[in-house]
Amino acid sequence: MDLSLNDTQRLIQDSARDFVRGACARDALLKFDRDPAAMMDGLWPQMSELGWTGMAIPEAYGGTGNAMTDVAVLFEELGTGPVPGPLFSSAVLCARILLEAGSESAKKAWLPRIASGECVFALALTEAQYGWSAKSIRFKARNEGADFRLTGTKVFVHDAQYATDLLVAARVEGGAGVSLFRVDAKARGVAIRALDGFLTGMSEVTCDNVRVSGDDLIGWAGDAWNALERALLAAVPVLCAYQVGGCKAVFDMSVAYARERTQFGQVIGRFQRVQDHVIQIVNHLDAARWTTYEALWKLDSGADAAASIHVAKSVASESYMRACDFAHEVHAGIGVVREYGLTLHTRMSRSLYHCLGAPRLHRKRLETALGLAPA
Amino acid sequence: MNFAIEDSPEQSAFRAEVRAFLAQAVSPKLEHSVDPCDMSLEQYQLRRDLGRSLGAQGWLYPSMPKEYGGGDLSAEKVAILHDELSRIGLALPPYYDAGGRMSAPTILVWGTSEHKQRFLPPICRGEVRTWQLLSEPGAGSDLAGIKTTAIRDGDAYVVNGQKVFVGSSHGADYSWTIVVTDPKGERHQNLSWLMIPMTLPGITVTPMDLLATGGEGGSGSGVKNAVFFDNVRVPADHLIGGENNGWKVASTHLEVEHGGMGRLADRRVIYEFIELCRERRDGYAIADDPGARAELVELYIEAEITRLFALRNHWLAHTNQPRSYEGAQYSLRRKLSGLDISEKMLRIAGPCVLTKDKRWGPLRGTIEYFQRDAITALHPGATTDIQRVIMARRIGIGGREREKAGALR
Repeated sequence: MDLSLNDTQRLIQDSARDFVRGACARDALLKFDRDPAAMMDGLWPQMSELGWTGMAIPEAYGGTGNAMTDVAVLFEELGTGPVPGPLFSSAVLCARILLEAGSESAKKAWLPRIASGECVFALALTEAQYGWSAKSIRFKARNEGADFRLTGTKVFVHDAQYATDLLVAARVEGGAGVSLFRVDAKARGVAIRALDGFLTGMSEVTCDNVRVSGDDLIGWAGDAWNALERALLAAVPVLCAYQVGGCKAVFDMSVAYARERTQFGQVIGRFQRVQDHVIQIVNHLDAARWTTYEALWKLDSGADAAASIHVAKSVASESYMRACDFAHEVHAGIGVVREYGLTLHTRMSRSLYHCLGAPRLHRKRLETALGLAPA
Repeated sequence: MNFAIEDSPEQSAFRAEVRAFLAQAVSPKLEHSVDPCDMSLEQYQLRRDLGRSLGAQGWLYPSMPKEYGGGDLSAEKVAILHDELSRIGLALPPYYDAGGRMSAPTILVWGTSEHKQRFLPPICRGEVRTWQLLSEPGAGSDLAGIKTTAIRDGDAYVVNGQKVFVGSSHGADYSWTIVVTDPKGERHQNLSWLMIPMTLPGITVTPMDLLATGGEGGSGSGVKNAVFFDNVRVPADHLIGGENNGWKVASTHLEVEHGGMGRLADRRVIYEFIELCRERRDGYAIADDPGARAELVELYIEAEITRLFALRNHWLAHTNQPRSYEGAQYSLRRKLSGLDISEKMLRIAGPCVLTKDKRWGPLRGTIEYFQRDAITALHPGATTDIQRVIMARRIGIGGREREKAGALR
């Protein structure tokens, strides 16, 4: 039993912390929020140089083959920003999908370029009938000789606006099952439109008769879902770690504010009702933290991690959102001033709530994992 | 990170050793009463026998130093011991010994070497059973407001007063007791701890009729008592941690009581309940109902978070990591999630959870007991509100200065 970080993880944590404090201080994050392109110009080359784009990719494909817990330690720190951008989508989620579903030639073609940061991948899976299960996928692909033609709309796609390449889940006409295609984000017929509102980094992706070469079919036609689901499951706890980082940040902000803000002649942290909000935040933080890291440990040690992963995502998605809510109760007016920075988290907590499946989906899957419901 | 309590051949061998030992040492006559209040004297004696066998190995208080009869065992081995006892429906210690469980680490920190030599080995070897005496009719949450006095008179302290919610069935050898040694002294600077032999004249023990005993899963505390002290002369060298220094001494006691050590292998009944809901009888399982399944999953998540907080605290305490709010956080969570889980059980399985009837009460009546115990468990070792106060102080927002966690060694 050892619940501490190992030396490698401590190094990762230190460099990520320096990065967040330096390049991603509040003013920088507010600037990136207004101008996402500046974020890609400013941060992405640094992230690649630090080796973060290759951490979840095996050495054979140009990465460093780190344990998922190592990757999660990085993402927990990035979550404290919250540092936006496609690192998770590209270097964790899509890299994992290619590893699980791709042929050897597809892995050799794309993983080294993801690892170097040259390519930025995003997963286009969810559609108008929003959901993260196979039955929600209706997007059509049509076989045309050795090629395919893709037509349809994906929506609430995370990080598509930064992507050079998309992994698109579709159904090939005339066949059952889900297929996966790599689509050049700049290909003719692809339109990516960032969505505006109380969300971060989500887009609509439309394909209008987009031609995709047969080489860019990832895995077998109609047979990608199982591999896709394995990859999604493995990526979930890393996303949870990012949410843990978010909880940690709003906890630290709330503690600092409760200690310095004075009303009725004393700091508000002396009021038990304010204390209760802060306690709720730390309880959510720790629930998310320990369920997440136990799931990661099971994943890394090859144990059956499914139930723990479902618990972790159920808890972490709920916790990040609730932690932000309680932070707003502590901060009151100043909390909703955009310049203050809390709302970056609040918005991120909402944006990630459904990413890779909302708590409701993971609780349903947990019923099966616990043998309470048939698979 | 490594969440496994057993992850080396040495530890696996230790588990096998413990299992073999328990197969020998646990009497075949040992039975588990659902309600600890029903435990007979004979059953209590069987548990004490087991305690002495464990104590002879240094396994009764396995994290205490060897020189005082402990085992000096690692966090993992201590966890394995808890786990193996829990597997057979027992706890460590296998009988109610809260006074020993709290006083031993406290004496280790605050006692003189003479106190340690004298009081720790009998506790660790299971030769004595000790109660803890803190609450009074007028002092529950406000522990510093106790009124029981111990006034120095020659070579003794003369104790007068009343303590409530004390101990167990079948008596004790010692009472680990917080008293006022300076009635005119300032608050927090007037308290001391006494190890009071229960054989002294002037002590009266009267049972209290409670809903349940609250907490102490597997150790069978039995009925709680009111204890009256009427001019009880306690030898002066039984005062531990310094006269009027009792509030500081209490910080260690309360750190242990508030969950700073983490209680592993707790509340098996929750996982047994899930099993029960999965079971198919007469073609029907409780989990067939989608609403019940949804609540069961919530219940499972609640239990998992509580289990992980306990594991974290166990690891923090047994590997000397820095701690702050975690003890109170675990205690708060255990209390609230216990209550929440008990209500979920009622919603999921219906009124059968309310009966201990042999025909209709599930799991031999353990669920019915859990319904009562979850409510009773809200108060021992400080209310949920007090746990929140402690958390706030430790986080550094409650008081003017950030409060440190109580020393554990």
